[in-house]
Amino acid sequence: MTRIGKHPVLDVPQDRKEVEFYFDGQKMVGYEGEAVSSALFANGIRRFSVHKRGNTPQGIFCANGQCSQCTVIIDGFPQKSCITPLRAGMKIETMIGVPKIVEDDRPLGKYERRNEVCDVLVIGGGPSGLTSTIELAKLGFKVILVDDKAKLGGKLLLQTHKFFGSEQDCFAGTRGIDIAHKLEEEVRSYPNVKIFTETSVIGVFKDKKAGLFVKNRNYVTVDFSGLILSSGAREKSVVFPGNDLPGVYGAGAFQTLVNRDLVKAASKILIIGSGNVGLIGAYHALQAGIQVAAIVEIAPNITGYKVHADKIKRMGVPIYLGTTVIAAEGNGRLEKVTVAEVDNCWNPILETARTYDVDTLLVAVGLSSADELYTLAEQYGFNVIKTGDCGEIAEASSAMIGGRIAGLNMAKSLGRNDIVIDESLYKKAEILKSRPGKTHELEIPELTAQFRPKFTCLQEIPCNPCTTVCAKKAIRLKNRLGTIMDTPYFDGECLACGMCVAACPGLAVSLVRKCSDTKAEIVLPYEFNCTAKEGDTMPLTDIDGKVLESGRITKIAYNKKYKTYLITFEVSAENAPLIAGIRVQDESVTKPRDKADFIAIPENGVVCRCEHVTVKEIVDFIRENEVRDVNQLKQIRVGMGACGSKTCSVLMPRIFKMAGVDWSEVTPGRKRPLTVETPMFAIINEEEK
Amino acid sequence: MKSYDILIIGAGSVGTPLSYYLAEKGMKVGVIEQNASTGRGQNRAAIGGLRATFSDPAKIKICAVSINEISHMKENHGIDVDWVEGGYIYPIFNEAQEKSLKNLLTLQKSFGLDIDWVSAEEVKERVPGIQSEGLRGGTFSPHDGSASPIKTTGAFYRLARGKNVEFHFNEKVLSMEVSGGKINSVKTDRDSYSADLIINAAGPFSREIGDMCGVKIPVSPECHEAGITEPVEYFLRPMVVDIRPDDISLNYYFYQNYEGQFVFCITPKPPISGTDIDNTSSFMPQMVERMLALYPRLRNLRIRRTWRGLYPMTPDGFPIVGRTKEISNLFLATGMCGQGYMIGSGLGKILSEIIVNDSHDYDFILEQLTLYRDFSGDEMLK
Repeated sequence: MTRIGKHPVLDVPQDRKEVEFYFDGQKMVGYEGEAVSSALFANGIRRFSVHKRGNTPQGIFCANGQCSQCTVIIDGFPQKSCITPLRAGMKIETMIGVPKIVEDDRPLGKYERRNEVCDVLVIGGGPSGLTSTIELAKLGFKVILVDDKAKLGGKLLLQTHKFFGSEQDCFAGTRGIDIAHKLEEEVRSYPNVKIFTETSVIGVFKDKKAGLFVKNRNYVTVDFSGLILSSGAREKSVVFPGNDLPGVYGAGAFQTLVNRDLVKAASKILIIGSGNVGLIGAYHALQAGIQVAAIVEIAPNITGYKVHADKIKRMGVPIYLGTTVIAAEGNGRLEKVTVAEVDNCWNPILETARTYDVDTLLVAVGLSSADELYTLAEQYGFNVIKTGDCGEIAEASSAMIGGRIAGLNMAKSLGRNDIVIDESLYKKAEILKSRPGKTHELEIPELTAQFRPKFTCLQEIPCNPCTTVCAKKAIRLKNRLGTIMDTPYFDGECLACGMCVAACPGLAVSLVRKCSDTKAEIVLPYEFNCTAKEGDTMPLTDIDGKVLESGRITKIAYNKKYKTYLITFEVSAENAPLIAGIRVQDESVTKPRDKADFIAIPENGVVCRCEHVTVKEIVDFIRENEVRDVNQLKQIRVGMGACGSKTCSVLMPRIFKMAGVDWSEVTPGRKRPLTVETPMFAIINEEEK
Repeated sequence: MKSYDILIIGAGSVGTPLSYYLAEKGMKVGVIEQNASTGRGQNRAAIGGLRATFSDPAKIKICAVSINEISHMKENHGIDVDWVEGGYIYPIFNEAQEKSLKNLLTLQKSFGLDIDWVSAEEVKERVPGIQSEGLRGGTFSPHDGSASPIKTTGAFYRLARGKNVEFHFNEKVLSMEVSGGKINSVKTDRDSYSADLIINAAGPFSREIGDMCGVKIPVSPECHEAGITEPVEYFLRPMVVDIRPDDISLNYYFYQNYEGQFVFCITPKPPISGTDIDNTSSFMPQMVERMLALYPRLRNLRIRRTWRGLYPMTPDGFPIVGRTKEISNLFLATGMCGQGYMIGSGLGKILSEIIVNDSHDYDFILEQLTLYRDFSGDEMLK
């Protein structure tokens, strides 16, 4: 099994129960309760189904219950493996083409309708759903909180990195997984909150009810007065040939496999997209001992935070701008990826093509709000609020505050007119979701014999843990904007405690001092399993990852709270002011093949994953029929699949543009329930026999 | 002002094929549609059943032509519309219904329809896994079937465009200028039109269109909800219709389509009138309870999507087709009572012969479906 046995940040639980299961007749071992998709991955399985169209192998894409690409046959029934917990003895099979029905002809057994009543139904137990539930619960409202995973926390559970933001508002400096546990504990402490996990809301209905598909078995309708949609976001797809090959999947799916379920999902990855999700994905890969060949970004600039990008570059991951993936190839699963630079019109320049041998390609081209239930509820005139990524894609720190605001606003709408929402809360939420601001010049400090902090934090982002952990309050934010967007500086006394070094989520703080005219010492953060000893050397780089020299370790300390090593190096006085990080990945890992080797048929990129419809098929159909209504694409099955066009609808503006049609002329597709396929036995709660 | 030989109001199950057949016969045809594309009114909600096994001469003839046109779409025009000749089966569990269906059979056979009573054993064979307690047999008509409504309408749209039919989408008819018993112009929110003949194929909204020119059309919408499952390997060929009423529904029906998906629909009792097409929470449990009681094998199937559509109902359950006395250049092709998809293609072809070729072969249809009948009858096999 390819499991992560030791992780620098995550505790590898020792109490997990191993269970046996079967995949295509072969006995395998997994952990009870983990997602079936993760158990399969841990056993080296990448092909989950074979699509009836073209007999194409399919692997996971979102691992988040959104698409349906991870469907396998479990004990006879097709089920999404990413939201089905593994149990002992499960018989799992590759879904080949259209499945056979399980012939159970016994007469209909006892059945019943189930209904629950609440004041507020909160859909999605991630950062915003948890905080809005807490606010409502405190005020005495009866809340039903629903989440489709086995554990509450949403994306917080995948976030092993320390949080940005301000410490007092959103636990900045704490890791997402720890925040999730704190919030879950609080939510569970309220008797007026009823929690449904492993439960999908399959629809909201005109008669003011929502339908809950519970634990793959039951169906419960819920009466509510208010609805909060904190259903998060889903990975955007991107179209290139081979984009449906097993091994090509979302960065969020990767985080789920690696961080939540501790599966070493890949040997070597390449990432498409330089937003925070892609950048952090690369970091998480390195922490899990997975090599990262490169990050490619079609835009001319990095779209995520500069500190994240710098951190990744220092570790030895190149980021290629103006570059895209032109082919993902392999025999049944991904084996190589070819990238190329693009011209001004984003057309690839084939002469620049480079081929990398990787087994995984992470799609990190952004997220789109999972807001179709909101749209429906709003159409129906319900009292509904959307929050977190469902409202607007932003950091989880902002989602937590947004959730509180949503909860309070919902309370007001339900008659609690006495509630006054502090303006500062709105401001904080706004600031926390700010796009990065200006980038300032790197300041090179004068070194003295005393340690002092040194910052490679140049871009304005909403973050301040370094200022709050400094015992001497000697780290402050420059008063350019007057918010936590400002960058830090040092002025005062330094105890060399290293808290600022350990707390910084961007690994952008180090301590430095001059030992002599030629020698200096620098303390750098290291969030990896550390096998080095005093006296060993490590390659040290400047802010952008250029190796400056090899530093000799003089001291290794460990900060337990932040699970970060603080490594002191002896370095040259000349380089000391410039050294910013430790390279962890050898350059050889990032080398492409000597010669590009690919077959790129751009038209073969898959748009509708469920029904396996390619970009060429759609563009041709649009042209031939002068299509101006996305609903007409149903003629070629687009959007008719299990996911209900959740994944492909986002791609439509671009596809129509490719067909020469301006999106403003086009009527978007109509989305209807159910959001998740639900068996008939569950709909009527037929008694299990 | 744009002018046409024939202007059709409504690009749905009826208007779209009709536009093609008329243009094929050389007419200059325009179509006004309030939605963004063809079939986005009720055709999108049709479940795809096609049968000719009715009990009246008009619908039997029209639907036989429909089946012929749709089943030959691939052969004649190279467009696959997922036609499956699966037949229709009505399993019967009580004596009264056996009797009335058998009586009907005599009539149906007299019209030359291939439909017969089959034994309980044969019903069980054709519907493997059916709950057979009390099953007395049923009627089976092997030449009925199903196809994809959206693909069919899409095909006719393509064919119509090939014959230079002009479609005006996202346009709503607002008023008509009438003088001397004739519509001089039809005004929409974007343009105005004139035509030698104006055909009202506006389905549930045809009453409003009629009101604009002073013709009372007794069509009122009722809504029905339907759903579709995931696909599974093919095991059920016919459309299964269970005509046993219960407290809240008259009948329900389901079939496995070309893709292997089950499509199902229920007829609510009492009918729900109005134009609301928003999904309700009651539909799924109600449908599933009934369907699984008859056919428990479906219990493991996952429902993928549900939706609601409108039946443009007439008082007697039959369509309204023909010219009007009040307005000389108005023709009605409406009130399909939820069978627009079955009727549309055949009706289009037949009307093109009536309108363009002055054919009198179909006078019996016009007589039966005239607006000026007394609407006192009742369609037995709605």
